Amino acid sequence: MKTKLVLNFNPEASNLPITHNLTAKYGLLVNILRAEIDEVGGKMVIEVSGKAESIKNGIDYLKEAGVGVRPIKEGVRRDDDACTHCGVCISICPTKALSLDRETRKVIFTEEKCVACGVCIDACPPRAMEILI
Amino acid sequence: MKKRIPPGPTSSGKSFADISTRAQNGDAVVMTAMEFKEFVRTNGIKKAAKEVDIVTTGTFGAMCSSGAYFNFGHSDPPIKMQRAWLDGIPAYAGMAAVDVYLGATELDDSNNMMHGGAHVIEDFVRGRAVRLKATAHATDCYPLKEIDTYVSLKTINQAVLMNVRNCYQNYAAASNTSGRTLYTYMGKLLPELGNATYCSSGELSPLLNDPLYRTIGIGSRIFLGGGEGFVIWEGTQFNTGVERTPNGVPKRPAGSIAVLGDLKQMTSEFVKGLTFTRYGATLGLGIGVPIPILDEDMAKACAVTDKDISTAIFDYAQQTRARPVLAEVTYAQLGSGEVDIKGRRVPTSPLSSIYKARRIAELLKKSIAKGDFVVTEPVQRLPLDRSFKPLDTMNDKEAME
Ligand code: SF4
Ligand code: SF4
Repeated sequence: MKTKLVLNFNPEASNLPITHNLTAKYGLLVNILRAEIDEVGGKMVIEVSGKAESIKNGIDYLKEAGVGVRPIKEGVRRDDDACTHCGVCISICPTKALSLDRETRKVIFTEEKCVACGVCIDACPPRAMEILI
Repeated sequence: MKKRIPPGPTSSGKSFADISTRAQNGDAVVMTAMEFKEFVRTNGIKKAAKEVDIVTTGTFGAMCSSGAYFNFGHSDPPIKMQRAWLDGIPAYAGMAAVDVYLGATELDDSNNMMHGGAHVIEDFVRGRAVRLKATAHATDCYPLKEIDTYVSLKTINQAVLMNVRNCYQNYAAASNTSGRTLYTYMGKLLPELGNATYCSSGELSPLLNDPLYRTIGIGSRIFLGGGEGFVIWEGTQFNTGVERTPNGVPKRPAGSIAVLGDLKQMTSEFVKGLTFTRYGATLGLGIGVPIPILDEDMAKACAVTDKDISTAIFDYAQQTRARPVLAEVTYAQLGSGEVDIKGRRVPTSPLSSIYKARRIAELLKKSIAKGDFVVTEPVQRLPLDRSFKPLDTMNDKEAME
């Protein structure tokens, strides 16, 4: 099973070896999709994979450690009305979640490929891409 | 500067007036630029020149040199506005009493790029109410010193989009060899040649289908932001002296047009406030121009494809006027999604929406075919002898030489 989680840290929690512990103690595979952490805490988007039971225990561990945990199904959303299909995003999206349909010349957003890295957010001129964190 | 402009028409053909009358009677053969190029591929130039009357072109992109003027009518007691703000964005009020001009790239005092002049123009087009504040030094005829109210397209007398430079004929492309992300009017340029951006609808672009301005000129009626508008002058920075292909297609930014149209006719589908992070606000605007196929030369011009149009990719890492060229490329290469720069495969982004450009060409074709949109002959041609001068720091004597 795989889940994407948004983690919110306070300054104390940001010093804990959280991802290491999730792997070492709960046998979870952790993939960091996005991290914005400094001395005053921060945010992180991770994808964890493992048994459902282990994921649940891992989340409990995070909560006990004082980390805000929120699962996300959808990290990034596109406002289809706002999108002008300009294509600014297609060369900067690292996973090709945003790509050009050669036939219609529309820009397609493939949510399954999106890793919520956020690179497209401030690159999109009409601000059609929105990160739900 | 050496000019490489080939001579004008060589073959006799149809007249502008004939084509226009045929179109108004609903008898003209109208094709979009996409359809016309396909038609030429299968039927050749001669047949295309004979059978097709009008080709519709289109472009949708960030057009910074845009803005709108408004006339609000008079308050009671009246005010001669000296400073004015529309939703907090300063508008130029130095014309008479209640006329202001709002520039698309104008920002408020905090430099909030998420909401600039262009966004206010879009709000107007969407029918929203916009807060108008103005101040003045009172006069005996205009005693009011301050006004704070709401206006919308319903309350305003004239709301006119008037842009000094749109629809650039060809445009430079951009990439970045530096080690940091650059935020530019060409979008986000990733470090170490991480991407390249370009900004032209290429073979669909109006002035690239009429490279020597034979049919697009002052007085041409155009599709502007979803309504009708006109070409009112050459665009600023008009520059004919650039290198061209034997067919006259410029290899660098060359001509452009100044345009004007009634904002009240426009739609938010083609008038959009945009933000280029750490660069500023700008207006996403759709323009479409019909091109009459007067003769074989015009047919040849409109048969141009992305393979025949080239531009240069400049290195935006260099913060000077003369940026180094990284590669010469065609729009076909840019459009393939990847270009070769110094042996590296670099992903590309268009910036200009080909999807919307095509939609504009389609809409324009439909309204010409229905007789709703009347194709007009220019009252004066655009110049063929303009150069583009730089701005250098000099003293008063040097400036007069
Ligand atoms: S940058 Fe934004 S507007 Fe342009 S294609 Fe991507 S999502 Fe659409
Ligand atoms: S956040 Fe944007 S840039 Fe990042 S993977 Fe998703 S779509 Fe691509």
